[in-house]
Amino acid sequence: MNLSGILVVADRGRQAEVIAALDAMAGVGVHHVDQPTGRLIAVQEAEDINAEVEGLRRIKALPHVIMAEMVYHYIAEDDAVYPELPPELAAQETSCTVPAYLMD
Amino acid sequence: MGLTRRDFLKNSIAASAAVTVGMPVAKQAEAAVKATEAGWQWDKGVCRFCGTGCGIMIATKDGKIVATKGDPNAPVNRGLNCVKGYFNGKIMYGKDRLTQPLLRMTNGKFDKKGQFVPVTWDKAMDVMVEKFLEAYKAKGPHGVGMFGSGQQTVPEGYVSVKLWKAGFRSNNIDPNARHCMASAVAGFMQTFGIDEPAGNYDDIEYTDTAVLWGANMAEMHPILWSRITNRRLTHKDMVVVNLSTYGNMSSDIADIEIIFRPSGDLAIQNYIAREIVKRNAVNWDYVNKHAVFATGPTDIGYGFRPAKADQFASAREMEVVKNEQVHVTDKYEAIAQRRKAGEAVKQANTLGAKPAADWAISFDDFKAALEPYDADFVTSVAKGNAEESDADFKAKLLKLADLYCDPKRKVVSYWTMGFNQHQRGTWANEQAYMNHLLLGKQAMPGNGAFSLTGQPSACGTAREVGVFSHRLPADMLVNVAKHREHAEEIWKLPAKTLNPTIGSHFTKLMRDLEDGSVKWAIVQVNNPWQNTANLNHWIHAARDMDNFIVCCDAYPTVSAKVSDLVLPAAMIFEKWGFYGNAERRTQAWRQQVPPPGEAKGDLWILLEMAKRIKIKDVWGEQNVPGLKEAGFTDGKLPSVLDEAQKMGYSPEASLYEVLFATPANKKDFRWPDKAVAKGHANHISETLKDGWFPEKAMFEEYRKFGLGHGHDLAPFDVYYRDDVHGLRWPVVQKEGKWTETPWRFNDQYDPYAKKGAGIDFYGNNGKSLIMGSLDAVGDGSKKVDISGKAKIYFRPYVSPVEQPDKEFDLWLCTGRVLEHWHSGSMTRRVPELYRAFPDAVCWINTKDAEKRGLKRNDLVWVESRRGKVRVRIETGGRNRVPTGLVYVPWFDESVLINKVTLDSTCPISKQTDYKKCSVKVYKA
Repeated sequence: MNLSGILVVADRGRQAEVIAALDAMAGVGVHHVDQPTGRLIAVQEAEDINAEVEGLRRIKALPHVIMAEMVYHYIAEDDAVYPELPPELAAQETSCTVPAYLMD
Repeated sequence: MGLTRRDFLKNSIAASAAVTVGMPVAKQAEAAVKATEAGWQWDKGVCRFCGTGCGIMIATKDGKIVATKGDPNAPVNRGLNCVKGYFNGKIMYGKDRLTQPLLRMTNGKFDKKGQFVPVTWDKAMDVMVEKFLEAYKAKGPHGVGMFGSGQQTVPEGYVSVKLWKAGFRSNNIDPNARHCMASAVAGFMQTFGIDEPAGNYDDIEYTDTAVLWGANMAEMHPILWSRITNRRLTHKDMVVVNLSTYGNMSSDIADIEIIFRPSGDLAIQNYIAREIVKRNAVNWDYVNKHAVFATGPTDIGYGFRPAKADQFASAREMEVVKNEQVHVTDKYEAIAQRRKAGEAVKQANTLGAKPAADWAISFDDFKAALEPYDADFVTSVAKGNAEESDADFKAKLLKLADLYCDPKRKVVSYWTMGFNQHQRGTWANEQAYMNHLLLGKQAMPGNGAFSLTGQPSACGTAREVGVFSHRLPADMLVNVAKHREHAEEIWKLPAKTLNPTIGSHFTKLMRDLEDGSVKWAIVQVNNPWQNTANLNHWIHAARDMDNFIVCCDAYPTVSAKVSDLVLPAAMIFEKWGFYGNAERRTQAWRQQVPPPGEAKGDLWILLEMAKRIKIKDVWGEQNVPGLKEAGFTDGKLPSVLDEAQKMGYSPEASLYEVLFATPANKKDFRWPDKAVAKGHANHISETLKDGWFPEKAMFEEYRKFGLGHGHDLAPFDVYYRDDVHGLRWPVVQKEGKWTETPWRFNDQYDPYAKKGAGIDFYGNNGKSLIMGSLDAVGDGSKKVDISGKAKIYFRPYVSPVEQPDKEFDLWLCTGRVLEHWHSGSMTRRVPELYRAFPDAVCWINTKDAEKRGLKRNDLVWVESRRGKVRVRIETGGRNRVPTGLVYVPWFDESVLINKVTLDSTCPISKQTDYKKCSVKVYKA
């Protein structure tokens, strides 16, 4: 599970629409809003980084969103969820022998 | 209802993020942050990845990193982080971290063909030094080499250079930055006489126009891109242009996308220059005061082996490599260079033949040279998308010229690897300055040609420290007697200790290993056996030849696997360090967590090696093939042992004692240093056990090189202050305050620019050029003083040395993807990043796929004259390649695309062109 704090900047005057659109996205919630500057902080909970990066892209693509970037990443929680390397990578990486494909 | 732990965490993350970007939060939220972060220690750091140099905050608890966030006070990123930066805290915790030295052995003894066996550090060092001295005695100082890095810290780079150049008297040290920044360096040095950009990232908020030349900033520099996006959306006049050989993510907010044929950028830049001249848009006041026109030889080859290439290259390879001797002019070059198509041009100014120096030309000659580059010709040579009409392409060119020429419009041109990794990379850089100088749009807020960097300390370490085969710190050169003498003085060396012969650049070091002139090499903080073009040759040199390769790394990279000895290295936040980013900003961090197992910092590895080598081993008379310099016997470095003894150095003293842990350093730079450390450990000081602080001692010594001539840095301790978020050099003291320089060469900002001059390109002070014609240097009777001036170069279009033909019918372009850094040795360990982009793919246009009976996800061979790799194809996604071109990223070691790429370099910068060669693609 990934938890990230994301700064979203909305068009002035369209903040309410952006908040509604963000709150409607799965795993996304708006926590802080700074009306004078159009900025808000959303927290995204995503299954893995694929979902997370996709989520960020979808946020960036929402109407009236000027900018969205990650700010904060909580790491400690992730260890419990990802105890291992993906098996396909682990198999490849565990030894320091010269793999056959290098010597093709 | 009470909060769940997850809800509580989310509130705390939100509040912390809000505070980070300066948003007000309620007291309750602050309390949540405090509760979550109880027992955490936050400290400032710098991102490990690209050259942007984002500031990050790192939280540690119980010796482990628990959270990272953007540093709200960092001027570069203002609290933001991109995906890679986000994972700074995780790259250290891959399950296959190397934690002990590994030596290839059979029956307890080193054996080149043996398996890796864990050994003690003592055993590892003993074998390493034994093999080093064996190679050194047999081949001399240039029989050994080091592959350094733009990811080494400043003190690591400095110790590498000092150990190599002063200790071993060898200039065979070159960084992977050769693959990424060398053309930028050569462009700066030739144009301005001093390295690194005039401007800085704040230009984004001052400009009206961002023109991207082969720099996919959206994917490669996302934080700078967020600043450009912000400017684009909040400043109504802002226009963004994306020039590339394929459509990419940067096109998404671009107003104009120009897809050009590989090397077409050389022609397009000349088209813009021609328009500037034709429209009378030249800023004559600026040009007359601050610039001279110049050019140089064009028959400079393609950076292959200058001689005997056929002993190593196959017959297929020689079809391309033969151009190093004679090149047959094609129809485009005939127009661009005012020659005849089919004319065989002997490459008389290649490296092997000692190229002629550049010369000054008149404006009339400059104007005449540009004349062929009209819209018709440039469209024919540079249009990169066959489906686009000539008229549409011409309209875009015209619009681009309009943007540059508008006197009221501020313009910044950005580039990275598109220009730098180019067979004429130095020229492409010089052309960017050509247009900005002609318009007088250089070295002022919002106006300038800005070279971005790919690596976190390509500038700070590789370039400024001079971890190159031809350089000394602060832009000095090994082949200039005055520079060597200055370095010998600071380093307290006997005269003539330093070697005046330029060493081998990165690709040449590989060629040296292949031809047996180098027998021993060490790798630090990079992956040469993944990142060097034409890899099959170099894998053979490492594994099948009698060479000894040492690889220091945190993970078992390809380079580790082909090595003989693997040394486990500490990673960024396991050691103290400095990085310098693309806007001249030097930034520092402390050790946050201890390295795992027996892993040690690269600095420690070099210093331990220095302990085991005595000056009598290296400071006697040495053979250096090719050495030719006034005051030296040809081919020889003199013994300096007698002189050393007079200076108080015993022949039995180690390089560690003479160069590094000197009595003065041990006295003046003590560890622990409580004022700076603030409770942080330093595993290097603590395991050297000499009570000194090597990072600080070496940084302070390095500073001496730059003080007083435009490269000034602040003292070590200043960079560690909480209120300092990096400083852009030159940093000088004004009214007791260390003050940075936002825009160089501009007398409003730069203390080195002559007051009242407005602009002062002081890097060329005291230099002159011989006046010549467009095609030849003059007889020397007329010289032009270029003090205070920059050069406006004319550089012609040159075709790529290998182009698609009947058999190899597609262009291959390589590069990075957002989720991975370089060779993926770190980012592929982060499970989430690995899953986001597990394997490299080959982007191919749907029409090209259909023509070959291929569909998305099919496994194909991508094959060139040099090698082939198997990879899946992708016809959709983020990159939109035109017909005739495929793109394969290079992060994936199971798709070693550099087996396929061509090891042609810019002959001036010696930087490899990874952006163009020809391949065929067929079903695997």
